[in-house]
Amino acid sequence: MSYAYLFKYIIIGDTGVGKSCLLLQFTDKRFQPVHDLTIGVEFGARMITIDNKPIKLQIWDTAGQESFRSITRSYYRGAAGALLVYDITRRETFNHLASWLEDARQHANANMTIMLIGNKCDLAHRRAVSTEEGEQFAKEHGLIFMEVSAKTAQNVEEAFIKTAATIYKKIQDGVFDVSNESYGIKVGYGGIPGSSSGRDAATSQGGGCCT
Amino acid sequence: MLETEVHDLSDDADYEASQQQGSRSIMRSDSGKRSEPEGAEVVYVKENVSVHPTQYMSERISGRLKLIKQGQSLFMSWIPYKGQNSNTRLLEKDRNLYTIRLLAFTDVRSIRRHTPAFGWQYVIVVLLSGLAFPPLYFYNGGVREFLATIRQHVFLVRSAEDESIFIVNDFQDPLQKTLSSLVQPRAVSVANAPSASISVGESPSIHNQKTDEGAFGGSSASQYIGRPRHKVHDPARDLSIQVLEKFSLVTKFARETTSQLFHENSDYFLANGRKNEQSIHDGPPKLESNNLQKVTNDVPVHDHPPKSTFNIMQNVPDEVPVPADPLEFDQLAVVWGKPRQPPLATKEWATFLDSEGRVMDAKALKKRVFYGGVEHELRKEVWPFLLGSHEYDSTYAEREYLRSVKKKDYENIKGQWQSISPEQAKRFTKFRERKGLIEKDVVRTDRTIYFYDGEDNQNVNLLHDILLTYSFYNFDLGYCQGMSDLLSPILYVMEDESEAFWCFCALMERLGPNFNRDQNGMHAQLFALSKLVEILDGPLHNYFKQNDCLNYFFCFRWILIQFKRELKYEETMRLWEVLWTHYLSEHLHLYVCIAILKRHRSKIIGEQMDFDNLLKFTNGLSGHIDLEAVLREAEALCLCAGENGAACIPPGTPPSLPTEDGLLTSQLEDEVLFSCPRKVFSHPTSRLPPGLPSKAMPALTASSVCLTSFSSPLATDRLVRRPLKRRGERIGKGNSAAEGSIVGRR
Ligand SMILES: Nc1nc2c(ncn2[C@@H]2O[C@H](COP(=O)(O)OP(=O)(O)O)[C@@H](O)[C@H]2O)c(=O)[nH]1
Ligand SMILES: [Mg+2]
Repeated sequence: MSYAYLFKYIIIGDTGVGKSCLLLQFTDKRFQPVHDLTIGVEFGARMITIDNKPIKLQIWDTAGQESFRSITRSYYRGAAGALLVYDITRRETFNHLASWLEDARQHANANMTIMLIGNKCDLAHRRAVSTEEGEQFAKEHGLIFMEVSAKTAQNVEEAFIKTAATIYKKIQDGVFDVSNESYGIKVGYGGIPGSSSGRDAATSQGGGCCT
Repeated sequence: MLETEVHDLSDDADYEASQQQGSRSIMRSDSGKRSEPEGAEVVYVKENVSVHPTQYMSERISGRLKLIKQGQSLFMSWIPYKGQNSNTRLLEKDRNLYTIRLLAFTDVRSIRRHTPAFGWQYVIVVLLSGLAFPPLYFYNGGVREFLATIRQHVFLVRSAEDESIFIVNDFQDPLQKTLSSLVQPRAVSVANAPSASISVGESPSIHNQKTDEGAFGGSSASQYIGRPRHKVHDPARDLSIQVLEKFSLVTKFARETTSQLFHENSDYFLANGRKNEQSIHDGPPKLESNNLQKVTNDVPVHDHPPKSTFNIMQNVPDEVPVPADPLEFDQLAVVWGKPRQPPLATKEWATFLDSEGRVMDAKALKKRVFYGGVEHELRKEVWPFLLGSHEYDSTYAEREYLRSVKKKDYENIKGQWQSISPEQAKRFTKFRERKGLIEKDVVRTDRTIYFYDGEDNQNVNLLHDILLTYSFYNFDLGYCQGMSDLLSPILYVMEDESEAFWCFCALMERLGPNFNRDQNGMHAQLFALSKLVEILDGPLHNYFKQNDCLNYFFCFRWILIQFKRELKYEETMRLWEVLWTHYLSEHLHLYVCIAILKRHRSKIIGEQMDFDNLLKFTNGLSGHIDLEAVLREAEALCLCAGENGAACIPPGTPPSLPTEDGLLTSQLEDEVLFSCPRKVFSHPTSRLPPGLPSKAMPALTASSVCLTSFSSPLATDRLVRRPLKRRGERIGKGNSAAEGSIVGRR
C-alpha cells in the first residue's frame, strides 16, 4: 500500500444527515440504511488517483450530536479536508451550518479545504433546502459545493475526489508545507512536490480499492 | 538443637520431600520453641512487615521482622502479631503457616527487592533450595536498612543482571564467579521515560558494595529499572525465572490452604465447573451470526487493507525501545487476577434467597456475580438488584407489589408525552426535536441483533417509547446519543417495557452524567483514568504525555457506553453485570480501560502512535477484546492500585452516585464550590468554558466534580427511590392499550 500522499478528511454535520452512509458509499460502494449510529468517531480509508498519483484518503466520520462537540473538536487537528454535510430534506440541518463552520474555522488549520454537501438529493420530493441556497451559502463562505445522495451514490465519488483535487492543487501551488503534518497531509513515496510532471492537478477517475 | 531447627528448612532430603508435599514443610513453623537463640543480638527490628495471604491487599498478616546475630551467623525471623489480623477470616493457623521462626542466612540464596511505582516495597526471600517465602511488605519502610544490615554481616552482592536481586554469600557457586566478573558498568534500560535516562556510571559496582550505602538506593519509585528486554543467555536470569516458578508454587500452596475461607463457592465451582465453563463462551445461541456480522462491520470493512486497521499482533519495530511495564514483575508476585467462575445459575441463585425472597447476603451475591456473571436466563431476575431497581432486602411479595405500582408510574409518565397533540407539538420545539432524534436513533441501534431486526420491529418501538418517556422523567438530561446503546441490552434482558424503563432509570442514576451537555461526567472519568495510568504504568503515562494524548479521548467510546461497541452483545451483558456489582470498586470500568491499554502498550509505544493513530487503534480493537482475561487483569490492577487508586478518582465521578440530585448537571454551574478534600484537586476553579484546550480540562473538571464530595450510603437509597416521589405534574393520562405490552419472547 504505497501512496504519494495521505490526506486526512473529517466528515461533520448534524446527526442523521447521512455522514456514515456517505463514508460507506465511498469506501464500499454500498448503501446500508441499517447500521449503528456513530459514537465518538469511526474511520474509513480509500485510495484514489489524482494526476496519476495514488492518494490515500483517511476519513474520520464523527458523531453529530451537540453534546459531543467538545470531543469532535479534537478531531479537527491535522485534517486537510472537511466534508460539511446537511440533509436537504431537513431545514434545521442547513440552519446549523454556520455553527459547524465556526467550529471548523476555530479548530482546524486555516488551509483546510471544506466541501459543503447537501445529502439525500434522491429525496427531491421532500426537499426543504433549494440547491440555490446551498450554492449561495457555499459562495458566501468560500466552500466547494455539491448535492449528493449516499443512497444512489450520485456525486459521492465526485465529492470526495474533488476535495482531494483541491487539496492536491494547494500542494502544487505551495500553499502547504507538506513536511508539516499538522496540515493533514503525509507525503508517501513519489509524492515530493515539484517532482510531478504536470502541475495541472487534474481530477481523475476514482480508483478502485487499494491493496 | 538450633542447628537442626534452622536446617530443617534446607536439608536436601527434606527439600526433596517438601517439593512433593507441596512445600508444606518449608512453610511450617515449629511453634513452642524459643524464637531467639541464646546470646543472640538483635541487629534490626521492623514493625508492620506484612504478608498478604491472598490476592486481596486488604487481607494481611502483620508482624515484626528481625535480624538476629549469633556468633558469625545471621538469622532472620518474622513473627505475626497476635490477634491483630486485618481480617477475621484469617485464622490462627494461617499466622503459624507464614511465621518465619528463625532462618539462617546460610540457607538463603537471594533476596529480591521490589519497588513498585506506588504502594509499598516488599522483598522476597529465596532459599538455596529454590523455594521462597511469600513477599514481605514493609508497611513502615526500611527495606534499604534491612538490606544494609544484612550486608554488614553476610556477603551480599547485587546481581549485575537484575538490580533488584541481592545474592547471599555463595562463594562456591559458579554463578557467583560469573557475577563477580561483571564488575564493569553495564547499560541498563530505563523504564520511566525515554527522556529520563539514568547514566550508566551510576550503576553501583560490585567492588564498592561492601561499604556503599547508595548501592541500595539506586532505584526508587520514580526510577524504576526495567528488566533489559533482549537478552542473551544469562545464568542470573535463569535463576530468577526458576525462583519465580518455585515462588509461584509457594503462593499457590498458600492460596490453596486458605481457599475454603475465601472461595465460598468452591464446591459449586468444582462440581459445575466444566459444564458451566462452556456457557461462558456460548451465550444465547441465536446471537452468533449477529456477532459475526458485528465483527466484520466494525473492523476491516471500511479500511483497505484490513491490516492497516487492525494489526495488533504484528511485529513491533525494534528501533523504539519500549519501557518495561512496572507491574510486569508483580504480575507474577501477586496473583494476577482470580480465575473467573462460571456464571451464576438458577440453582445457586436460590441459595442466596431466604424463604420470602430476600437476598440474605448482598455482598456475597455481588462477589459471586463479580467473579462469574449471571446466566442469561437469570439476568432478568438478578439485574434489577444489581442496578438498585430492587432492594436486596425486599420480599417476593413486596417486589410484586412494587412492580405493579411502578408499572402505573411508568404509564403515567409515558402518558405525559403521549397526550401531546399535534397542535401542541407544533409549539413545542424541544419535544419535536427530542422525539425526532430518538426516532432516528432507535432505528440505528443493534438492528443486526435478531431481537431488534427487521422492519416494524415492535422492540424498536419500545426502545423509542422508553427513551422518550425517560426524557420526560428526567427532562433536564433529556435524550443523548449513546442512551439507546445502554437501553438495548436492558430491554433485551427484561423483556418488559416498564421494568426495562426502571432498570434503565437506575442505570442512568449512575451513568447519567456521561451524557451531560458539558460532558463533565466524561471528563471526570477521563481525568481519573489518566491519574490511574500515571500510578499504574508511569512509562505509558509519560508516553501519552509526550504525545499530547492525556485527554484520553481515545477511550471516550469505551467509557460513554461501557464497552458496548467493543464487545459482542453477550459479552457486553457479562461485563455490565460485573461492573454493576461495584464489588471491588465503583470504577472497575476504568481499570478495564487500563487493562486493555496495558495489553497493547508495547505496540502503542513501539509504533510511536500519535493521537490520531491511537484513536484509530483503540477503535479497531472493537470485537478483539478478550473479556475474561481483561476482567482478571482489571481486578488485579484495581487491587494493586488500592487506596492510591481510589484517591485518583474525584468524588462523584460516574458511576458513583452524586449526593444531591443534579450536582453534576449544568444547572449548578455557578454555585460556590466547596473546598476540595483531596489534595489532588486543590485548585477550585470555575467550570470549563466551551472550547478551552483539552489540556486545561482535567484540573478544572476535577474541581467542579468536587461539588459532590459528600456521598453517603443513605444518599444511594434516597436517589434510587426518588423517582416515585419527585415526579412533576401529570399531564393527563395516555391511552395505555399498547403500553404494558410484554415484549415478545425470542
Ligand atoms: N434517502 C436517503 N437516505 C439516506 C441517505 N443518506 C443517509 N440516509 C438515511 O439517513 C439515516 C442517517 O444516516 P447516517 O449515515 O447514520 O447519518 P449520520 O448520523 O450523519 O452518520 C440513515 O438511516 C439512512 O437510511 C441518502 O442519501 N438518501
Ligand atoms: Mg454517523
